Amino acid sequence: MKKLEAKDLSSSYKDEIIIRDVSLILKPKEILGILGPNGSGKTTLLRTLSRVLKPKKGVVLIDGKDLYKINPKDVAKKLAVLPQIQNPLFNFKTYEVVLMGRNPHLKGLQFEGERDLKVVREAMEATNTWHLAERNLNELSGGEMQRVFLARALAQEPEVLLLDEPTAHLDISYQIEIMELIKRLCREKSLAVATVFHDFNLASRYCDNILLMKDGKIQSFGKVEQVLNPKNIKEVFKVDVLVKKHPFTNSLYVVPIKVKVDQRANQREVGKRVHIICGASTGSKLIGELKDLGFELSAGVINLLDSDYEFAKDYNMDLVIEAPFSPITDSSYKTNLNFIEKADFVVMTSIPFGKGNLLNLDSALEALKMGKKLLVIDNPPIEERDFTGGEAKRKYYELKARGALFLKSYEECLEWFKNT
Amino acid sequence: MQEYWIKPRIKRWKIIVSLASLLLFISIISSSMVGAAYVHPLDTLFIIFKKISFSNFHYAVNETHETIIMDVRLPRVIAEALVGMALSLAGVTYQAIFRNPMADPYVIGSSSGAALGASLAIVFGIGYGIFGLNSIPLFAFFGSFLPVLLVYKISRVGTRVPVTTLLLSGIAISIFLSALVSLTLIFAKEELRGIFFWLLGGFSLTNWMDVYSILPFLLIGLFGIFYYARDMNVMLTGEESAQHLGVSVELVKRRLILMASFLTASAVSVSGLIGFVGLIIPHMVRILVGPDHRILVPTASLTGAIFLIFADSIARVILLPQELPVGIITALAGGPFFLYLLKKKRDEYSL
Repeated sequence: MKKLEAKDLSSSYKDEIIIRDVSLILKPKEILGILGPNGSGKTTLLRTLSRVLKPKKGVVLIDGKDLYKINPKDVAKKLAVLPQIQNPLFNFKTYEVVLMGRNPHLKGLQFEGERDLKVVREAMEATNTWHLAERNLNELSGGEMQRVFLARALAQEPEVLLLDEPTAHLDISYQIEIMELIKRLCREKSLAVATVFHDFNLASRYCDNILLMKDGKIQSFGKVEQVLNPKNIKEVFKVDVLVKKHPFTNSLYVVPIKVKVDQRANQREVGKRVHIICGASTGSKLIGELKDLGFELSAGVINLLDSDYEFAKDYNMDLVIEAPFSPITDSSYKTNLNFIEKADFVVMTSIPFGKGNLLNLDSALEALKMGKKLLVIDNPPIEERDFTGGEAKRKYYELKARGALFLKSYEECLEWFKNT
Repeated sequence: MQEYWIKPRIKRWKIIVSLASLLLFISIISSSMVGAAYVHPLDTLFIIFKKISFSNFHYAVNETHETIIMDVRLPRVIAEALVGMALSLAGVTYQAIFRNPMADPYVIGSSSGAALGASLAIVFGIGYGIFGLNSIPLFAFFGSFLPVLLVYKISRVGTRVPVTTLLLSGIAISIFLSALVSLTLIFAKEELRGIFFWLLGGFSLTNWMDVYSILPFLLIGLFGIFYYARDMNVMLTGEESAQHLGVSVELVKRRLILMASFLTASAVSVSGLIGFVGLIIPHMVRILVGPDHRILVPTASLTGAIFLIFADSIARVILLPQELPVGIITALAGGPFFLYLLKKKRDEYSL
């Protein structure tokens, strides 16, 4: 069922075309997230959809009728907008502000009646603002004010709700709170919701569909999983990202990688190979930086699901992996040694050692025996991450005795590679 | 809470408006007792009530006194009330449109524009030209309308009108218009003294004709602005926001500016330049009754009337037998108040 539909919209502002040929559909109980860089036309799209900016071309249909041919009051009964909040002028009480939401339902000099008061109360209770009713608007915090204006939008009893960055300038707790609220209201009141976002992770967590905009056009539009992938994001935002499923929320999350495309293209390969013995997220930073410096990389032995693994697998490098949470087997130990053999340098990060991964320490010893340069990052010192009852510590002494280079930090390690 | 909010509020509003009306009535009567010529207060009362009740009961009053009260003081006091209402209403309206509590017909050049229009009409003798109607308000209207548009266009930044740009453009336009008024004065010969006194802002020459000429504008303005009271509330939370709530912002704004300019023009053409009423009154009334225009509009207009009657009563007697133009009194009270407001708002508006 279509609630709001835009067909081939083009809008311009002061003769400059800002959005071009945008088509989209909003359905009840669904949240559409609109994402895009600054100046990509997100807010303009929202203004065009909310009967504020008349499109140069195309139509916006609400329940099949042309939005711009219905009178503004009737539109406001169906469509509400949560704008970016401006500092309020004059001291209205919170209750008075929410009461304004009934404006489209009132004629001329008509006063609010029993039903209006009931709707307002429900809207305020739904947004948890009823206790603020008597407070002056400009005494409220950002999160409270956002909720009050959301209550006002709900008091319009809309079927479509458009939001312009509802989480902007809010603390993270308020961001989650307001988005949870919007999601709940969307389901309970069968609202069709579209919201502009800056944050991929909030968008992927709370939206059903995503519209990705670039230069006023739709770059991609569809289910979250279809739209939010590194290729699309790189095309729009010109940044490399990792897109993962979050183990707790089961929604996608997006992490930018430091490497910039153009930088990487200019980079000369140094033709040297580094093997990294890492795990438990001690290696991720190093992998990124060394790749930046142009080294060829391999790493191991890492457990599947380890954050280092999640990171490294997107870097197109040789990896030795082990089943999740399992001890290192002989076969992967041997594969690891093979990679060490091929490498010019070996780095061991400050992995916590237990019985299961002691073989990684052994492979470091082997590296020394092969005559490789071994760098050991020992911070925090091995004493604090030895869970083997002293065995790992002994092996560290042996490493030192055999000429491994001990470094205090990962920055020191990077410095060393830069000077090489 | 639910009950608490609407019915008692409307009830409270009714009480406020009734009280203010009563106060206005008392002010009109008591101000009619004040003046250079001594008329016994009881005599004044009887004269007025005799007229109001159209009764023929006999009470011996001095006929001169009756003329003083009925043809000099009463029209004057009523004109003061109407002008006070008009200026106060215009202030409320400009403040809502400009989304700025410092807007006032005097500050934004609307009054000076009206003065220019009116002086042109008087000096060049077209005052009573068109179909025998008093065309001074018409000229004053065009004079007051144009500066508002100009100031609005110039001082608007995005969707807001910051205090700084508002005041600066308002001052610039006022100075420019005052210069033009002075220029017209050069061409004025026998009218010079009259115009000059009128420019200072006063009611010394007011008669019933003035009351009748301002009354229709005032009624239209009062009811017209009150009609948009709820829309004005919504517009204060942002113009785009108001559009989302079904207000046809551009249309409403245009009508409100028109009505406020008519009010300013009619006030100026009766009484000359009287400053700051539209600034002081809405601000004080807002503190007392809150920012909701459904109560602010009626209360501010009644209070504006009372204020101007009060100010003019002072102007009439403070330097007896000399009479002061009331514009001097309101400016003396309004100037410092304006500065106080500016200082208070400075932080909010990052001047």
